[in-house]
Amino acid sequence: MATEQLDVLVVAGNPWRSDYLRYAADLAPTCGQVFALVGREGQIQVIAEHPVEAKRFHSEQPDLRVSWSPSPIEEVEGAVGSLSRRRVALAPAAAAPYRLAAGPLAATLAPATAMLDRLMLRKSPAEIDALSRAAALADEGYAVFREAARVGRPEYALVAEVEAFFRSRGCPENFQILGSGREVRGMHPPTERRLAAGDLVTTELTPCVEGYYAQICRTLVLGSPSEAQLRAFSVYDEALAAGVAAVRPGATAAEVARAQNEVFRRHGLGDYVTSEYTRVRGHGLGLYVDGRPAVLEDVDLALEPEMTLVVHPNTYHPEAGYFVHGDSVRVTASGCEVLTRTPRELFSVRAG
Amino acid sequence: MRRGLISWSRDEVPASVLEARLARLQGKMRAAGLGAMLIYTSFARPSAVAWLTHFVPYWNEGLLIVLPTGAPVLLAAFSKRMQGWVKSVSHVGEVQCVAQLGRAAAKLVGERIPGGSPVAVLELDALPWLVAEPLADALGPRLADASALFASIRQPADETEIALTQRAADIATRALGSIPRGAERSSQVLAAIERSARLDGAEEVLSRLAPDLATGTALRRLEGDQALGERYAVELSVAYKAAWARAARCCSSSEPPSWSQARAWTSEWATRIGAVASVRPPGNTAFWSLEACVGSEPFSVVASAIGPRGTVSAGTVACFSLQLQLPDGPWLGAGTVVVGGNEPGRLLA
Repeated sequence: MATEQLDVLVVAGNPWRSDYLRYAADLAPTCGQVFALVGREGQIQVIAEHPVEAKRFHSEQPDLRVSWSPSPIEEVEGAVGSLSRRRVALAPAAAAPYRLAAGPLAATLAPATAMLDRLMLRKSPAEIDALSRAAALADEGYAVFREAARVGRPEYALVAEVEAFFRSRGCPENFQILGSGREVRGMHPPTERRLAAGDLVTTELTPCVEGYYAQICRTLVLGSPSEAQLRAFSVYDEALAAGVAAVRPGATAAEVARAQNEVFRRHGLGDYVTSEYTRVRGHGLGLYVDGRPAVLEDVDLALEPEMTLVVHPNTYHPEAGYFVHGDSVRVTASGCEVLTRTPRELFSVRAG
Repeated sequence: MRRGLISWSRDEVPASVLEARLARLQGKMRAAGLGAMLIYTSFARPSAVAWLTHFVPYWNEGLLIVLPTGAPVLLAAFSKRMQGWVKSVSHVGEVQCVAQLGRAAAKLVGERIPGGSPVAVLELDALPWLVAEPLADALGPRLADASALFASIRQPADETEIALTQRAADIATRALGSIPRGAERSSQVLAAIERSARLDGAEEVLSRLAPDLATGTALRRLEGDQALGERYAVELSVAYKAAWARAARCCSSSEPPSWSQARAWTSEWATRIGAVASVRPPGNTAFWSLEACVGSEPFSVVASAIGPRGTVSAGTVACFSLQLQLPDGPWLGAGTVVVGGNEPGRLLA
């Protein structure tokens, strides 16, 4: 803030986009809008929409000046108005509300968001430590998922077991989607569908520790994998290895995506790495579950040491359905460290 | 992020109920001369779109475009491969998976809405800037806020919503009942709640815990594990098919006598919300609040001990939270009620 000549940074957040708020003020809202007015000298004023949240924030950080209002945007407007001679900026664009963003702080939104984005890309040792612990938890969570995947159980029961495990380990939050069936077409939140023998069962697990998310993607078969499933899996495994090998300082997100996609193209599966079938070939990890950079062939952001991301060549395969296969990594001085340790295999779970 | 059960049961939520809600909104829109209404949704603010269409984004965002007649259009910031899933859980006329919601909405409004007619936005002031900016650029002064208009048709709840809320309340009650007797760590309590509620089909489970009532009554979102005091409190909010209920429980290995009195008083008081809360509490009421769904958030504070002092109409589904200072120490309560009118309200949890 000193470099950018800012006196006060107004950071907006909510349960969907809490990452900037967590970074700037270590706040994780569970409901409503929350604003932190962060002073250059470290003093923080918090305005929450719900009284229980305000009481919680004060309990967690007694030094904060916390208040609540059913009209928090108006409160922030008033608070900013009282800072007339100070240089104030607003962030982030993803959470800043229209009324504030269209007002006198409009011109500050883009540079202040970019400033925070830069700060959040490269992780400190403490951030790496939290992310590494989240990765270890993801590995354990996947073992619980494999154990829970049994014929006859509905998809949502698998998630229930994993969530209970994460809570038992003090992890408050997880992002998880899955797919099941003879031919999985995509990933989604759990449904009532009951697992059947021969099903392919896919999942992305993304627990967080101290706000930092790590992700693992794996696929299992209820019963013995078919030849087609094994053939398909070998392509994903090769692509994941190629993507991880491409992660090093100076490489771009595009190069990591291309390394994975080239494997599919070599196998005649180039159509299946387009946006018709898949979204990204990985993404940044940190305080947001789907952070920068998006690993896509048109994203030229260069990787730097201590960035963290998941590499995942997840997509549809015409013979075997939608497979997922991915690991969290940390960019090191010379390459990368793979943080998730679950073996890269097409797991087979007893169907009987 | 949502990772509980998301599915559309036509038995529990008939399409005709969603259509009736939409018709109420469209009637108001026509009376107000609106060309369209835009309603934002994210998993933090899912309630308005879910109430009209049954769609809840498990992550990311969406924008519902309601025209004065006909089925609405849902713009969803999902990849194309998710279009089938979105359609399977939503009752809308059209689904478009788009990268930039605001830009896509501005284009659609430009193509389908007569020039000059006002375009209303639910909670315009709160619309995230990434969505709002292209709309403001394209529509400028045509944009208007429609929060009051929407609130005027949102409550009272219909029987479908009450039944879903009752199911959410039952899930919450069972989950609180699953707390292991003699639990010593927060992780034991939270794991038991989570497992019970999600196995019961909860769409979302949000727990806050005051780990030791002897040292504080703040309900916290715990990260990591924590030792529990001899007396602790758990507040649980559960969603079932986008309907939310809240409940709370104070736990102790040797429950003081005043707690049963507090529970009885709270149940009586809750059924009189909306009329006169004339029953005296067994101690001092240190804090209370009443929350109801009037817009996009599941819970908005409509009245509380420290302001605002709004009112809720009979038939509104509302959640209350309160803290009593009893002779034996603090006690926290929460519940869900269908607010009464001439008759007492109905306590759901």
